[in-house]
Amino acid sequence: MIRVALPRGDLRAPLAERLRAAGFAVEGYEGGSRAYRFPVEGRPGVVVRVFAEEDIPIQVALGQYDLGITSRAWIDELLARYPLDSLTPLRPLDLGGRRLVLAAPEGVTLDRLAATPGVRVTTTHPNLAARALNYLRVPDYRVIEVWGQPEAWPPEDADAAILSVPLDAAAAGAVLAREGLAVVAEVQRGSATLVANRDALASRDLAEALGPLLALPAGDRDASEARPLPRGNGRTGGLEGIASRTSDNDRGVFRLALPDGHAQRHTVEALASAGLRFEGYGDGATDRHPRSGIEGFEVKVIRPQDMPQAVALGCFDLALTGRDWLAAHRAAFPLSPVAELCDLRRSRYRLGAVVPEAVPAETIAEAIAWWRRDDPKRPIRVASEYVALADHYARERHLGRYQVLPISGASEGFVPDDAEILIEGTETGSTLRANRLRMIDVIMESTNCAIGSTERPPGARGELRDDLVERLRAGAAEV
Amino acid sequence: MTEPETEASNPASAGRTEGLRSRGMHDIGPDQMRRFRRAEARFLEVTSAAGYQEIRTPTVEPLHLFTSAGALSPQLLDRVYSFLDWDGWSGERMVLRPDSTLPAVRWFESQAGASVGEPARLSYVQPVYRFDAGDGERELWQCGVELFGLAAPEGDVELLGLARELLSALGLGELRFELAHAGLLRAALAATGLDPAGQIEALDRVIEGGEDAVEAVAGELAAASPERATGLRLLLEIRGGAGGYLDNVEAALPEAAQPIAELRAAVSTLEEAGVACDLAPAAGGSFEYYTGLTFRVLAGNEACLLGGRYDRMAEAIGGRPAPASGFAADLLRLAALAPEAAS
Repeated sequence: MIRVALPRGDLRAPLAERLRAAGFAVEGYEGGSRAYRFPVEGRPGVVVRVFAEEDIPIQVALGQYDLGITSRAWIDELLARYPLDSLTPLRPLDLGGRRLVLAAPEGVTLDRLAATPGVRVTTTHPNLAARALNYLRVPDYRVIEVWGQPEAWPPEDADAAILSVPLDAAAAGAVLAREGLAVVAEVQRGSATLVANRDALASRDLAEALGPLLALPAGDRDASEARPLPRGNGRTGGLEGIASRTSDNDRGVFRLALPDGHAQRHTVEALASAGLRFEGYGDGATDRHPRSGIEGFEVKVIRPQDMPQAVALGCFDLALTGRDWLAAHRAAFPLSPVAELCDLRRSRYRLGAVVPEAVPAETIAEAIAWWRRDDPKRPIRVASEYVALADHYARERHLGRYQVLPISGASEGFVPDDAEILIEGTETGSTLRANRLRMIDVIMESTNCAIGSTERPPGARGELRDDLVERLRAGAAEV
Repeated sequence: MTEPETEASNPASAGRTEGLRSRGMHDIGPDQMRRFRRAEARFLEVTSAAGYQEIRTPTVEPLHLFTSAGALSPQLLDRVYSFLDWDGWSGERMVLRPDSTLPAVRWFESQAGASVGEPARLSYVQPVYRFDAGDGERELWQCGVELFGLAAPEGDVELLGLARELLSALGLGELRFELAHAGLLRAALAATGLDPAGQIEALDRVIEGGEDAVEAVAGELAAASPERATGLRLLLEIRGGAGGYLDNVEAALPEAAQPIAELRAAVSTLEEAGVACDLAPAAGGSFEYYTGLTFRVLAGNEACLLGGRYDRMAEAIGGRPAPASGFAADLLRLAALAPEAAS
């Protein structure tokens, strides 16, 4: 069987159309079905599996999939850190052209960034970011990997961001201008790209899939050609190192972080039961900066996954996130100065090890023995969004040789073909049952919570934090 | 780097342990270890007799020590083992030590009592870690020396002499020194009139290297700066012998008088000692920290030792300005090359 990995998200609809025209029609993929696996019309030897764009390069590199189509930026992100000979980009396509840029608040130059000690740069592409900063001769940087919206951090919480923008300079400029940012340097550019596993190319007949995929329209050179890495100007020193960010300076403003996405509904409820309401949060539209109506009290909306780190960095006095994300952060960074201040008791679900129903085992130890019944050295693959928790779990449960596969969502489709174990959350178990999966081991019960620095902020900020935590705690008692 | 000597192993047991060793990492068995210890003892004997005192630095270091202005090239930084440790919430990455020179500079700088005028001589034997895309060695046992407080050409002359003495004491024959000068290439690039970013780009391409790339850069630079064309081609494309070559380079690139004078001093030291030397002024290696003479020693056809001058590094990591130079070698490689009787 030839295995092909295709992206969900923005590339899905235009790609599906081109695939059909090239004689590679994937029925459910076109229709936006929620299934993960699809046959290809008239090509019985081919199976398609849908992944998040960022998960495709590692799947093809590992040889779990022979061919894949995804954004060039995610391919380069993997290759920037791991010069894999197993991943071969074959052909740029005529869609999904984007570029990654280093962007900073308007007026901030590369010289100024290079002269800032510990310059803080947020990004979803940490490997490309570190590489670009090395080539730009930025001598002392801290790359902060975020789950999304790296542009939300500057200027208060970071000095610059490396983010994806449209190829077109005017469109990119408009996107950045909304955030008060401007391009400092281009880091990478590329379009959706067909990639192959090198061993599969070298040893297996992939023609049934490769033929039509190579007939997809190629991208234009400007969108898809590899660019030389950015170069610094070689000037160092001589400039005042003035950090542009303000949040971790000695500030008098109290800062609260609220989550976007799925977590928002439970957060609005928790705030309401504490008698708190912020204009621009949970009332239809979500603003980046909801208004508290109180002098010296700022509110900012960021991803809940990124909050523990943002609090540890001193960006916020209080943040409402999930205990799962706090646990994931602490599993990676046991010394991080962030603590749970109050359990909000909403958004309740169990996080644990999920395996296929068909695995004949009652405990994880029995399941491991069953997977290794024919090959005692077989590595156990653990797929999860919670990489550090998955790693911690694998060590704690003595999995022996294991691989942690970082994934981003749609995880139910990963077992049994692409992993043995998922570290995954479930509220009622119904999604698991629908996918013929079950939780064999519970790691934690997660709820939403308020987090803050292990050290109480000084003065009025500390008093405000105490007050808010007390109100949230009282509100949570009613749940 | 070349494959280490592996001792005979039983194919059946090798199969049993397959997958239990990380790629690019190797065990050192008893026979190889004996040779290693003999070479190490000889290294410490020779360097200690010359006044060098041994230090050892941490295996785990902050990445920014190595990204500090002009420290390691981006090409080498691409190959470091970097990771986030328990304090990584700050975004600060750690590395497994990719090179011993910067930690040695930091140690020197941390000695409050060290007087600025007094030379300090340090030696070390410790592993460094760098990714290699293939199956090459990723852990190298580096032995080396650092000399602080002695400027060119005196410091260069001392180090070249010490390198020669060390390799001879290990019994390595047919020694040939290849000399280059970081300042020469920089002076040539500055003379082209390219802006700083263009100069860095050309330097990167020379470092990224391969003879084709160097030739291409030479061609482009010569085209951009016709009046410097002869000098650039001499520098980038032609390897020279002794004095006559340097005279020609100086005639074509008068702004490079200082680097050329330092190269002349090095050449005459080696000639007096009866050691063969070549000049390959564009050869730099992937260390941006070099500011002066750089050298590579070959025993027969095997490169076995690298060194150079890095006068600006102490300042780059926030210390006092101090002339500095050093050399390093792969001790396992030296142990394998040394004839059994000599080492």
